[in-house]
Amino acid sequence: MTSTSTDQESLKSEIADLERRLRDAKAQLNEGSIAPASAARANDAALHALLLLADSALPLGSFAFSSGLESYLAHHKPRPPSASQMPNLHTFLRLSLSTLASTALPYVFAGYRSPWNIETLDNDFDASTPCTVARRASVAQGRALLAVWDRSFKPQYNITTTSAIEALAAFSSALRTSEHLNAHLAPLWGLVTKILSVPLHDAAYLFLFSHARTVISAAVRASVMGPYQAQAVLASTELQDRIRGLVDEGWNRPVEDAGQSVPVMDLWVGRHEKLYSRIFNS
Amino acid sequence: MAFVSPFGSSTSKAGHGSIVLEVLPPDKPVLRNVSYQYPLKLVAPDPLPPPSHGADGHAPRLIHTVFLLTYGGGIVAGDTIDLDVRLDSRTRLILLTQGSTKIFKTPDPLLLSRQHMTVHLRNDAALVYLPDPVQPFAHTAFAQSQIYHLEKEKGSLCACDWVTSGRSARGENWDIHEYKSRNEVWTTDDAGRRRLLLRDNLILDKHGRTDMALSSRMDGCAVFGTLIIRGPIFASLAKFFTDEFEALPRIGGRNWGDAVQPDLTPKEQRQHDRQQREKAEGLIWSAANVRGFLLVKFASREVEGSRNWLRDMIKEEGSVLHAFGERAILCLK
Repeated sequence: MTSTSTDQESLKSEIADLERRLRDAKAQLNEGSIAPASAARANDAALHALLLLADSALPLGSFAFSSGLESYLAHHKPRPPSASQMPNLHTFLRLSLSTLASTALPYVFAGYRSPWNIETLDNDFDASTPCTVARRASVAQGRALLAVWDRSFKPQYNITTTSAIEALAAFSSALRTSEHLNAHLAPLWGLVTKILSVPLHDAAYLFLFSHARTVISAAVRASVMGPYQAQAVLASTELQDRIRGLVDEGWNRPVEDAGQSVPVMDLWVGRHEKLYSRIFNS
Repeated sequence: MAFVSPFGSSTSKAGHGSIVLEVLPPDKPVLRNVSYQYPLKLVAPDPLPPPSHGADGHAPRLIHTVFLLTYGGGIVAGDTIDLDVRLDSRTRLILLTQGSTKIFKTPDPLLLSRQHMTVHLRNDAALVYLPDPVQPFAHTAFAQSQIYHLEKEKGSLCACDWVTSGRSARGENWDIHEYKSRNEVWTTDDAGRRRLLLRDNLILDKHGRTDMALSSRMDGCAVFGTLIIRGPIFASLAKFFTDEFEALPRIGGRNWGDAVQPDLTPKEQRQHDRQQREKAEGLIWSAANVRGFLLVKFASREVEGSRNWLRDMIKEEGSVLHAFGERAILCLK
């Protein structure tokens, strides 16, 4: 009888399926009991904060800046004019990340590690930023980050007052009266990620990644490449390795040793003001 | 029995030097101290009265000049030079070099040669430091720092720091192990706290994960420089650089031919000629007004391009030559 054998077949496969689901459910139960629920919650909190900061909707205004890309492209016209600008973009992205890691990353680490030093860090970063265009970009984003903290994040993190929160509050109020303070992005990024309990390595990684994303997004809008190519560059293991390597390289570099590793970058960024037509602020 | 030297123990250290410029009352600036140890050598020719003397009642009667020299014209691997310069109020000093500072090959990339200079400027003191560029040869490791202390943010400073790609005639093109140059300007406030006014730190080494040779990071430039200008004595020089930067033609701008070309005044003609030279020599520069400084960055394809440009700019503006005399730009000739 063919119909009975088909019934038996389907019953057998149903039993096998139920057994597999039971096994999976048991495995899940075991995993959950190994990791304590509180640790999972802390991880989730850090992950949640990381997702907030990584969101391109975070109103820092980063999209307005190309960090010198626009000026770089104007200084390196492809020949013939129809040739692809992709090789130029790749070179620029490497140099730009290297510059950011050597000039700003030490201040991210320092802002995270010593919150009470934030005023000195802000002053020293300002003293170390030799060009008006780069200063404008850094201060605009730093102030925006401070505003996001004040208006959006602070009420959620007010349950426990840590010394980092106090340091940031003191800095915010000093900013209104002092003529010397500027609110640069890098040290504030370190301090805010500390308050949000993002692990330092992740905070530094995200700082560099966000920069890469900003540059690449600027490249899309400057018609250097399309949105799919852009995602491919962002997803590449090459970029991952580069960012990870830069974080490791800078881990122990003191702020006193922060400096320019690509001197011509200062010229490209500084000469942005001299472009005939501009679509970005830097 | 151990031999006991009848002489006091020597306090001199290799490579150390000191320059102290003070005012002998009522108003005569004198070099109170010029001392140096091998491999550093300091030469102070007779001071000259400034060309503008008499016109400006505040100008000191004499301008001093000191040449910073090293034996053999360069710095050998492992050498350390440490120079301390102090300028009393109302004194003016020109620091010069004699030819580029050559950095010689090191047997070990970790063996760093160093040159360190600390300058203390009192109120109303002024320093012009327009040296020849540093020329690190292939396979060298060198770090230098120039630290300026301004008393209560006063004092005038015009200092240039520039570096070349090596001996280009021998095909050297940034084939160095490491080059670092740090320029810092500090001040002390009334409460005695030190505050950083400016830090310009150049780091050329193997770090940075660029996967590119140093030479390709330099974008075809053989020389990079920074000019730091601050203080009332150099205010008009700073303004000149700002104005000239403003006046640079827009990058990517086109002449559509619909605007009438006006006849150029002699000044505009000079400006135009210089801009043409900049273009021909691949010289690019930028100027930024930050924190009371004027910071000029420049780069060019050949060393001479930058040298000529810097000299032309300073000569055309004229105030430095007027206040310090021709010696101030001796290294730019």
